[in-house]
Amino acid sequence: MLGGMKTAVRSFLYLASALVTGALGFGLLLAGWLATGLLAVTPLSVPVLVAFRWGVGALAKLEARLARLVGVDPGPQRLTSGGNGYWGRGRAVLADRTFWRQHGTLLARTAVGWPLAVGAVSLVGSGVWFVFLPVYYRWVDFHIGSFDVDTLGKALLGIPFGIAGTVVALALVHWTARGWARVVLPYLGPPRGPAKSFFVPHAVVVTIADLIVLIVWASVGGPFWPKWVLAATTLTISLHAWLLRAPSALARVAGVAVFLEAFQVAVWAFGGGGYFWPIWTAIGFATAVGVATVVLRRGRLEHRIEVLETTRAGAVDVQESELRRIERDLHDGAQARLVALGMNLGLAEQKLAGDPEAARDLVAEARAGVEQALRELRDLARGVHPPVLTDRGLGAAVASLAHASAIPVVVEEPDAERPPAVVETAAYFVVAEAVANAAKHAAATQITVRIARDDRHLVVEIADDGRGGADPAGSGLLGLRRRVEALDGTLAVTSPSGGGTVLRAELPCAS
Amino acid sequence: MRVLIAEDLALLRDGLTRLLRDNGFDVVGAVSDADALVHAARAEKPDIAIVDVRLPPSFRDEGIRAALELRATVPETAILVVSQYVEQEYATELLASGRGGVGYLLKDRIMHVDDFIDAVRRVAEGGTALDPEVVAQLFSRRGPLEGLSPREREVLGLMAEGRSNAAIASSLYLSIGAVEKHIASIFTKLRLRQTAEDHRRVLAVLAFLQAEPGV
Repeated sequence: MLGGMKTAVRSFLYLASALVTGALGFGLLLAGWLATGLLAVTPLSVPVLVAFRWGVGALAKLEARLARLVGVDPGPQRLTSGGNGYWGRGRAVLADRTFWRQHGTLLARTAVGWPLAVGAVSLVGSGVWFVFLPVYYRWVDFHIGSFDVDTLGKALLGIPFGIAGTVVALALVHWTARGWARVVLPYLGPPRGPAKSFFVPHAVVVTIADLIVLIVWASVGGPFWPKWVLAATTLTISLHAWLLRAPSALARVAGVAVFLEAFQVAVWAFGGGGYFWPIWTAIGFATAVGVATVVLRRGRLEHRIEVLETTRAGAVDVQESELRRIERDLHDGAQARLVALGMNLGLAEQKLAGDPEAARDLVAEARAGVEQALRELRDLARGVHPPVLTDRGLGAAVASLAHASAIPVVVEEPDAERPPAVVETAAYFVVAEAVANAAKHAAATQITVRIARDDRHLVVEIADDGRGGADPAGSGLLGLRRRVEALDGTLAVTSPSGGGTVLRAELPCAS
Repeated sequence: MRVLIAEDLALLRDGLTRLLRDNGFDVVGAVSDADALVHAARAEKPDIAIVDVRLPPSFRDEGIRAALELRATVPETAILVVSQYVEQEYATELLASGRGGVGYLLKDRIMHVDDFIDAVRRVAEGGTALDPEVVAQLFSRRGPLEGLSPREREVLGLMAEGRSNAAIASSLYLSIGAVEKHIASIFTKLRLRQTAEDHRRVLAVLAFLQAEPGV
């Protein structure tokens, strides 16, 4: 009972803390986006974004500490830095998943948490008010309807009400906080699995915002002004849905134009009709889409040719140097050993009659040579294509790598059908190289390998907690990039100094 | 001793058959794919089947799958898997039943004819033979084995290969008593109860290794 009370009070403190942190978050997000928006294309936007991320990270750190009140420890809030070049730093902020996740939690704490805090404080506060009424009934003029609380007896009547009310209020607060801890707080922790679209959170935020607006309107009355908010939020969510599903850049441009035009028509219709001015914007959009069609198609083809030329050259290079290495290994290794073996056997044949003792030694030597040659051939075969990858596929091959690794490796992989063999091989070598690098250069203590599959891609992500600072142009990573790009895939390397390394390869595989 | 061979390359199949016949084995069949292996094993119930990992039609791990099937359906036939490469995962699967009569060796070992023949007999009689390469893979991982002294690791490795105490003693130039002391110490460090038979010890060690990979 007492323990339950304690948890409930902690939940209350957590919810109430949004009064401060929600307000701080509101100020920070507003200032951050105003500044970023105003300075968008100027060089000043980069320090603003970096500072913005720092601010969001610091507040998220505070939120993570507060989360312990409801028994959630989302783990350390790591502030990452990185990106190449001046503009790269700005882009790195926008591409940082941690930043966006923290952003989402702060936004939730402001938009939903703050009203919740107000509700929690007034609910619990009114309960407590009744409990202590006997102390101050003399000095306050308190009455419920026509029942005036002016004597100690009447004030004492309030105590049971107050206690019951406080308990109910705390229970409500407790359940709310639990829901919060389950739904929102995971976003404060490190992301799990490959990047997900934030469509669902977006839809949730839109729904909540619309509901709040409708409730406010219902309680205030007047003309139906929420239609503007509804129209705008519906527009954002339908645009988002469209962008997710649109098959090409051109479709996206056309879709955006259609949505904007629909919005204008809606404005015209809600505004009471009259002169149909959206016709002009419609003509404008149609022209823009026409121009975009021409430009994008040409640009896309040119870009595609350029990409294919580079990746083909890269693939040929990789193949060429691989073949050279294999040829050299065969020439210096197994082949040479077989020659020596042949000589030994020839000698043994000669000596068989005259000196059987020496012949026996030579045969033994020959056998040792065969063993050595076999070992070398086995290593060579493993380097070209590991047998277990052929036998059992990517999951088993990666598990085998994990077993052999000196650093603990956690593998997360779904039970999906096997991707095409070339894709599997490329993915395997990405993992193998990343795990080897983590052990050799990064001084990591933990590696996580995630394999994910959707209907169009195979994604492998290898994250370590080492010292970071990997050079994406180093020979190992460059070879991997070429291998991946030859399959029309992409390889992203995030390796801020001191912040661990994440290698993420996305390989298209039509199935 | 009655032997069944499953190997898809005719050169190796015939070589192996000859080698075994010369050493006094009764080769009751030499087949080239997994279906024929299962069929022949059920019909002949040989003492041991020597199985290649890669077999037609897909040349993946048909041999391992067939071996596991035989373990379940024809338990009286021991299985010795031979392959051009060893994979620790396969060793684990083969030994998972916890019974003896299982071996997993590189084809390279066939060249040491006496040792190989020895291994075939040992496995056929219910013992185990695990390739030193697998043992080396196990030792390269981090984990509970780090607590063992170098000498104890050597002893454990030879135990895993299926050697008897006497064989371990002679190959490490130790007395049998010293070997027994090392083994007792390994059991204590790995928190295993001591049992009598050789292969039980190997299986216990392997079970322990499977339970906590690389922690």
